[in-house]
Amino acid sequence: MEFSQDVQNVLAIVLFLLRILTPALSIAVLAGCFLSLKRGRRREEPVVLLEDVGSGISIPVLYWENSIGRSRSCDIVLPDHTVSRDHAVLMRRESGWMITDTNSKAGTLLNGKKIKGDTRVLPGDVLSIGSSALMLKRVSDGTPLPPKKPPKKGKLQIKRAPSPGKLMIGLSVIQTFLSAQCCLAQGKFSWEPLLAFGVLLLLSWGLYLFSTKALHRVSFEVETVGLLLGSVGTMLLTGINLTPNYTQLASFFLGIVLFCFLIWFMGDLDRVMKWRIPIAVAALVLFAVNLVIGSSVHGSKNWIILGPVSIQPSELIKIAFIFTGASTLNKLQTTRNLTVFLVFTALCMGALFLMKDLGTACVFFITFLVIAFMRSGSIRTIILVLVAAGLGAFLLVQFMPHITNRFEAWRHVWDFADTTGYQQTRVLMYAASGGLFGVGLGQGYMHQIFAGDSDLVFGMLCEEMGLLMALVVILAIAFLILFARSDVTRSRSTFYSISACAAAGLLLFQSCLNVFGSTDILPLTGVTLPFISAGGTSMMAAWGLLAFIKASDERTYAVRRLPAAKQTQPIAPRPAKRAQPKGRRGKA
Amino acid sequence: MKTTGWRSLVLYILGIGFLAGMVFFLACYFTQGGSWAMRASNVHLDGVNQLSGAGTITDRDGVVLAKSEDGNRVYHDNANIRKAMLAVVGDTRGYISTSVQATYRSQLTGYNPVTGIGSINDKNGGGSVELTVSSELSRIALQQLAGKNGAVAVYNYKTGEILCMVSTPNFDPANPPSDLDSDETGKYDGVYLNKALSSCYTPGSIFKLVTTACALENLPDLAQKTFQCTGKTIINGHEITCDAKHGTIDYRDGLAKSCNVVFAELAVELGADRMTKTAESMGFGEVFRVDGNPTRKSVYQVRDATDDELAWSGIGQHTNLANPTHMMILMGAIANDGVPVNPYLVRKITTHFGIPVHFGGTSQGPRLVREDTAKTLQELMRYTVTSDYGDNMFPGMQVCAKTGTAEVGGGRKPTGWMVGFSSNPDTPFAFAVAVEEGNYGRTSAGNIASAVMKAAAGKS
Repeated sequence: MEFSQDVQNVLAIVLFLLRILTPALSIAVLAGCFLSLKRGRRREEPVVLLEDVGSGISIPVLYWENSIGRSRSCDIVLPDHTVSRDHAVLMRRESGWMITDTNSKAGTLLNGKKIKGDTRVLPGDVLSIGSSALMLKRVSDGTPLPPKKPPKKGKLQIKRAPSPGKLMIGLSVIQTFLSAQCCLAQGKFSWEPLLAFGVLLLLSWGLYLFSTKALHRVSFEVETVGLLLGSVGTMLLTGINLTPNYTQLASFFLGIVLFCFLIWFMGDLDRVMKWRIPIAVAALVLFAVNLVIGSSVHGSKNWIILGPVSIQPSELIKIAFIFTGASTLNKLQTTRNLTVFLVFTALCMGALFLMKDLGTACVFFITFLVIAFMRSGSIRTIILVLVAAGLGAFLLVQFMPHITNRFEAWRHVWDFADTTGYQQTRVLMYAASGGLFGVGLGQGYMHQIFAGDSDLVFGMLCEEMGLLMALVVILAIAFLILFARSDVTRSRSTFYSISACAAAGLLLFQSCLNVFGSTDILPLTGVTLPFISAGGTSMMAAWGLLAFIKASDERTYAVRRLPAAKQTQPIAPRPAKRAQPKGRRGKA
Repeated sequence: MKTTGWRSLVLYILGIGFLAGMVFFLACYFTQGGSWAMRASNVHLDGVNQLSGAGTITDRDGVVLAKSEDGNRVYHDNANIRKAMLAVVGDTRGYISTSVQATYRSQLTGYNPVTGIGSINDKNGGGSVELTVSSELSRIALQQLAGKNGAVAVYNYKTGEILCMVSTPNFDPANPPSDLDSDETGKYDGVYLNKALSSCYTPGSIFKLVTTACALENLPDLAQKTFQCTGKTIINGHEITCDAKHGTIDYRDGLAKSCNVVFAELAVELGADRMTKTAESMGFGEVFRVDGNPTRKSVYQVRDATDDELAWSGIGQHTNLANPTHMMILMGAIANDGVPVNPYLVRKITTHFGIPVHFGGTSQGPRLVREDTAKTLQELMRYTVTSDYGDNMFPGMQVCAKTGTAEVGGGRKPTGWMVGFSSNPDTPFAFAVAVEEGNYGRTSAGNIASAVMKAAAGKS
């Protein structure tokens, strides 16, 4: 039905208001997610104590995985020359507390017996490490600890945070705004976008109810961010010709399935550690298959096309890459070198170079640096790797000077506006056309440019939804590093900490390449913007990566742990009221 | 886990990189967004008269050259002034990319980064632009070109203000001819160019100034040298002709009489390396900017040239090319003892609300000529005018100049050139005039230069 001119005028104002309200509400929802995360986080309090049998001094055990040794970098420091620098690791697992000797000189004794491998520790058991004898105690049984210090001044004290349900309602309102813009885009009412809206609502509330009601999880912040970003991307694509992009919706669904599966899969740390090598081998096989039967699409041979389904294996291998790179603390302490992971990285990067997928190779490389640094902490290694990479890039340019032609337009795109700078100039032109609030969904021209809805989607986002909304989207992705960081010492293992940081770093760096590449701040390499760009595998990979961030939040698995905890009677499932101020407590 | 905790700070390095990039992007967006959005290739602007609400463009005397009325772009009443100012003011569609209406489109239309392209309509007022150019001088230049194609550029070499910049062929922006885009005879070739900025011509004899500069700096016995002109000279088995038999002649008269033999032999004696060095130091191969718009690079290329080719290059033939604006700047540099003042043509831009946002101003460019060389060139060029062209071409202005008649081949008549400057401090103007198929530089370009300079002196 066509509207009259008067209605059209009113409609234009309404749509403009919607374009202002959408980013405003998105900011509110994202801020709510972040506050809720900060608020819901466990305080850093000891769960159990190690009591020195000789002196009676209690040492709080603060983390799920605690390194014990002479080195000052250990979580539990024993200043004793008979203790190795990194002597043992005390870990909390599903079944209870475990101790592992990490190749110490003198060995670790449990109740007088030398331990081998992971050994169960029960309250009252005595660990002999060097000349210290330490007894594991529940916090409630231990000697009283000094009273908690008052909170530091200047630290944000979050009193109230919106509940996950309220944030979900906010999300649904945003989805409604976006759909209304799509439905009214052509000056008449189109009903097709309602289909996409329906699917989005179903996916969002389906995941929410599954997570909170079926799995009894308390937190839903990370999912809300993912759903918000995915909805923005999906409605942006729906706006192109006002019919739902079914491929995108299907991969949205598959992405959520992958997300749920990975979180289940990572629930059991033993299972994860057992499957790391098979996953790595599978990733390499997938790369090999890609190289053999892959199809070249616009210069990069990174597609496998099987009948109606086409996938980009490198997107899924990102997930496998993080699985292979991350590791638990006891494994980190015993296998210090990075050789295996280095070789795996080299093979992945080699495959990506052969596919001429330079952008993804850069993404893998940065992810490698994050993981390598978090594993080894060695700045020397990082510098060595960077020098090697720089040398490699230099040789590449020396022997294959034609690859630099791809970058000739960089920082001079307007001089190449109709050749190699065509795409970037269109991004700038249309991004600036949009202003702060955009020209409206379905009103843009960026999607007519090649890769306008994938590699150049930032231009389309700015053009149709405005710079403000584009900034909200990019900042939401950037905030994931804060999500990952905030759980880094509270996660159930360094595996989760490292994988979450790697995933957040990967998502942010890829977004940087996408945004800065298409706007001529970096050379254009052609990577997708996670959650937003058209592309099924990209959407799934984004959800897969989000699963790592979700898994590093111990609350994800907290509810499931409770019934098991009651049966096996491990130590204090709930943290005690009293707490030890953060800090090392050595032997007196 | 504690160590994992602090190692995770590495993510902040990525975060800082991201923030830095974002701030940089936003800074570019808010400062250059207008020029990004207002490109002619932006489909959002198709079918709408982009300049329907744009502000006024006035010349140096306040004459209104373009303004908007009731959603239409209206130009000056006089068709000759409209045509003469086309290259500078620009067409309504913005196809003349170096023109004010294209370069300052976002300021003229009042584009703002908040509402984006949505602000471009006739309801909003745009900013106005004040030029340094005189529409009257430009009209005279166009009249003098008398239907010939070419470029005329005049500027004040003390202040940098461009007084006249005309390019032909052109068309009337108020009534664009119906066959403008469909014509295939070539009569409109170059109408969308400001030829003074964006084209190059074979320089011919005006290049002898470069050869002279090179000789002055490299041959200490230059003043004592004499050459034998028999109307030709043989170099590397090839004949290089001269218009006249000048007999025994030194470089000073050689320049005044434009003797090819003198400069062909000088170029060979100097060699490709020294010639290239001088040409490059004088701005060949370089881009100059006028209000941000680049000039086309002048060319001097004698690498791998044979001796006869080098000889031809010394008299401004071979593959040499010269850009009129570059030549004007080079004349300004010689007049200023070697250091040019950068030319500009936008004096002031004011927003709709009367807030000035841009001022053109005097600024110096990098030195193009050594000081002693510049002083000698002033003297030689003055001698050329007094001894050969006649000072009555530019009465009272003490003009120093050089003409050129550049062979272009292809059955076309030579390109006529005249470049020079007035050394009278009351009329500090430098000029460059190039006329396609103008034949003799002195009669074609010379007459135009004479008329425009006289008019410019009369105005000052």
